[in-house]
Amino acid sequence: MDRAVIHAAPSDGYANLGYELSELVASYPPPFVYVHDPHTTRIATTTVVSTLSTLRENGANIAFAHVNAVACFTPRLLYDTALNAFAGWSPSWEDGCANWIGPLEGTSQRFNESFDGFTHGIRAAMVERLSDLRLVLVIEDAQRLKENMPDILAPLTRLYELSHVDITTIFVSEVCWEHIRPSYGASHDPYYLDVAPSSKQEFYTPDDDSEIPLDPYTYHPVFRQLYTHFLSTTYSVCSPFTTGLDDLSYIAAATWPAFIRPVIDEHRRVAMELKEAHQDDPDAVPDSEGEEEKPLHTIVTFSAPTEDARIRLTRLFTPSITAALEALYPRQTNAITWANANIPAADLLSMHPHEIPQSLAKKVAGDVDGERALRELPRIAKFVLIAAYLASTNPARTDMRMFGRGPDARSKRRRKGGSPRKTSAKASAVKIPQRLLGPMPFPLDRMVAILGILLEENDADTRLSAPEYKVPGEYTEIEISRVGIYAQVMELASVHLLHRTSPSDRLEMSPTYKCGISYDIAFQLAKDVGIRLNDVIWDPVA
Amino acid sequence: MRDIQNIVSPRVTSPAKASSVKRFPQRETTPTRPKTSVQTSSVLPSLHPPRTEDAASPPPSPKPLPTTPAKSPRKRNDVAAPQVSPSRLPRALPSNLYPALNAQKRATLKALHEISVLPQGDSEDDDNTEPSANTAAFNQLRGLLTGTVERGEGNSCMVIGPKGSGKTQLVERAISTLPEAPIVIRLSGFAQTNDRLAIREIAWQLAEQTGQSLLPPEQDETVQDDENPFIEPNAEVAVTLPPPSHLLALISMLPTLPRPTIITLDGFDLFALHARQSLLYCLLDTVQSCRAVSGNRGIAVVGVTTRVETINILEKRVKSRFSGRIIRTAGLPLFDNWIGAARHALCSPIQDESECDWSNMWNASVDSFLHDQQVVRLLKETFTLTKDIRVLGRLLVATVIALKPSSPALSTSELAAAVNKQRYPPRFSFLSSLTYPSICLLIAAAHVRTSGHETFTFEMLHDAFQDQVRTSMSAPVTVDGGGIGMAFEKLVSLQVFVATASAAAGIGKEFMKYRCDADRSEIKDAVDKTGQLSLKKWLTKAQ
Repeated sequence: MDRAVIHAAPSDGYANLGYELSELVASYPPPFVYVHDPHTTRIATTTVVSTLSTLRENGANIAFAHVNAVACFTPRLLYDTALNAFAGWSPSWEDGCANWIGPLEGTSQRFNESFDGFTHGIRAAMVERLSDLRLVLVIEDAQRLKENMPDILAPLTRLYELSHVDITTIFVSEVCWEHIRPSYGASHDPYYLDVAPSSKQEFYTPDDDSEIPLDPYTYHPVFRQLYTHFLSTTYSVCSPFTTGLDDLSYIAAATWPAFIRPVIDEHRRVAMELKEAHQDDPDAVPDSEGEEEKPLHTIVTFSAPTEDARIRLTRLFTPSITAALEALYPRQTNAITWANANIPAADLLSMHPHEIPQSLAKKVAGDVDGERALRELPRIAKFVLIAAYLASTNPARTDMRMFGRGPDARSKRRRKGGSPRKTSAKASAVKIPQRLLGPMPFPLDRMVAILGILLEENDADTRLSAPEYKVPGEYTEIEISRVGIYAQVMELASVHLLHRTSPSDRLEMSPTYKCGISYDIAFQLAKDVGIRLNDVIWDPVA
Repeated sequence: MRDIQNIVSPRVTSPAKASSVKRFPQRETTPTRPKTSVQTSSVLPSLHPPRTEDAASPPPSPKPLPTTPAKSPRKRNDVAAPQVSPSRLPRALPSNLYPALNAQKRATLKALHEISVLPQGDSEDDDNTEPSANTAAFNQLRGLLTGTVERGEGNSCMVIGPKGSGKTQLVERAISTLPEAPIVIRLSGFAQTNDRLAIREIAWQLAEQTGQSLLPPEQDETVQDDENPFIEPNAEVAVTLPPPSHLLALISMLPTLPRPTIITLDGFDLFALHARQSLLYCLLDTVQSCRAVSGNRGIAVVGVTTRVETINILEKRVKSRFSGRIIRTAGLPLFDNWIGAARHALCSPIQDESECDWSNMWNASVDSFLHDQQVVRLLKETFTLTKDIRVLGRLLVATVIALKPSSPALSTSELAAAVNKQRYPPRFSFLSSLTYPSICLLIAAAHVRTSGHETFTFEMLHDAFQDQVRTSMSAPVTVDGGGIGMAFEKLVSLQVFVATASAAAGIGKEFMKYRCDADRSEIKDAVDKTGQLSLKKWLTKAQ
């Protein structure tokens, strides 16, 4: 299986970063370097680390530690990770995964107890190794230091003068130094290294995809040219939304197998035909059963598809790249699932253009399930949710106007305030609809009252006839005071469609809740039970 | 030679090649500047790791070598490209000068690395009548420490000076030139954030420095008789810390050590913020009560700080024990000194026998660089903003790093780029490189602020965005896609949008309140840079 990995060089910004850093580290590095990459920090870190390891391989006398501030969320973890790397120590399972202790063996003292211990540890590691070793401490995602360990942020930037050894601290982060900088000038200004945005469509291909059951010819070297074209197509489709190289390569990795599949199928077909021709040929020596395993490229000359086929492929698959972007960029699903769900029909290239389905991309089940589950709620639960949504969105003082029903005109809604838009336009600051600001808490009584109106107006006709209730609205009154309503509220709160905002041990007041559904869902639910939501909402959506 | 030319090809594209460039000049060829020879006999290495020093190296000339207008024809023949005049750097370097350029780069970077100690060298060479502030400070501090070391005095003083004026270097230099090696305990207010940590650190450093062979065995006995708690007779580096209750008592034992002790407190003002200033009290009390009894050695406490009114934040009982000596350091006072320092660093001599005309060419190019109108303007601008010479160092490092055989002379445009990047970099220079949905969200956020709301939720921005898409019909972005939500998250993770309250249970992600950290002019710059007319229109539209 010769799965040649198609690799592209990193873009210019990262090459510059690598060059500048290697120049610095190989000569006299500043004590504190700050690498700011707002696009893809991971690749910046990889560049830094690979630059350092290349330097070391080329004989520079350096040792470096790569610490991820997300993984090392306490100072101890950070110290231990760094010291292990500096001392060239790797914890082994047999030793109980002990960290490096060096000269402290047998004492109760540890290097990871405080920052001072850390600096002593660095010096001890230096003593243990060469004397004129140059240390480099690379901290990835350094913005996390500010949240997790603000105390050691300033000392880390001053590590050079605190530890009295030749050490350079490199922070790699996606936010700029201004956001992290400790107050009162506690740390020196760094030497800034910025990564220029990548304008080229060059990104990596994941090289180890052993888990994905790919066709062995997916990354065959003969497709290199086609792959480059494919990458530029992917870039042009995706670049308005994301220019992050790892996102782009993730999407490319998910779509490429489907893209190249028809080409391989075509080759298979040709090979099959050839084989059949061979079998028909009486002169041919009959092969054993191992024929199936015979590599494809030995049967048929494996070649890149023609220009015509390339254009056809590109046209066919561009919508599917867009679909992949929409599903994979927010990680609604993963690349393997997406790739498996989107295997194109066999022999796509040999089909007539009219037979090809319009959209190759299939919707991958994801968010749809949640919506359907909501639609399958009991009818009364839908009423409760809509009432809760109204109670959370309409201001309490407008209830009288929205839901106040006189005894004479029960079914007719009075609204004296006129259009709410007119009043809000006069206000000094533009009033923002509550729908956009998020739900307000409401007392349960208010929601139950609104529920009563909704039930009376939209549900009364569907009930069984109950001749014992004479007074208009009496039936609904009875309905909303049933224990079932309260049980329904508790049920909805337990699945977080309602949020209880008052503490559960407060009994003297009506409990307060907040609605947990969005406008779109409320609109759908209202449609299901036949309520026109915009009529009962104070600030309707235009 | 063929190999070298291959390696040092002007197109360095991969780190591997770059590293082999740097590997070429060997370490022993690095030139040396005359530096007071550092002899720290303390166990701690000095601030600068020892490098190979050549005592016989000539003193550096701060002024560039006079450019000889007419070169002898013999020298002209030395240069590989005969059309190039030797007094000027050629546009593209002939290959035989690559090693010289690399050596020069290395030497210059070394000098720039230590730029904050440069002023001393300068003031000696300038024939000014009055010595610079730092020279006076050095003499004063050295005198004080000598008193401690030789006569067993208890001294305390404070070194105050702005950032980058060479305070720490000054103290280190004063300590290293003492006639007798004292025990040096270096504390820093940035690392030792409370007294407990500080005292543990004192104990650890003491054990490191006295636990080794510096202590004669019979004195070890006597000290042990005194129950000095921090001396471990057989400990190498391993330290047994005394119990916490003994820790403060440890300080009063300091004068009984066999050698005089110097304690430097970096970030002195931060120690004053510790609870009840007890560490400072104990230290200064010990210093004050240090008597010249036989057997007692001197002790000196040197505080280093940038904060001018540090003495005022000392408590009364602490202040009364402090000697009140304040030693001031200063950065380079004049712009000409800056230029001098820059020239000094840039014209670091290299040891290169073969190409004797390299240094002339290089010095001439540095000279013309420093006389360039725009360079002078940029540096002057920087000087008026900050007198921190390390900023100058960063600017020059970035300029020197950019030197390549294809462009061997210092370039003004590189310096201008460095000024943008290194001086006070704008916080949101990357906004224009963000994706289309992100910029749309920024514009929406700017409009929200204009309408009188400081904070916003994702739903508000999304609504504004939808409105805009509906009215303009020109946005190429599908609203339903996840792109807009991801763009919002990206802006949050870049901290352009800052959450105003921490996430609470029951508040949906789309209703979290944020505020935009970038102001309108920054957003406007970003939109202008993208050059999309529809976005510009949207931003300038009144709402």
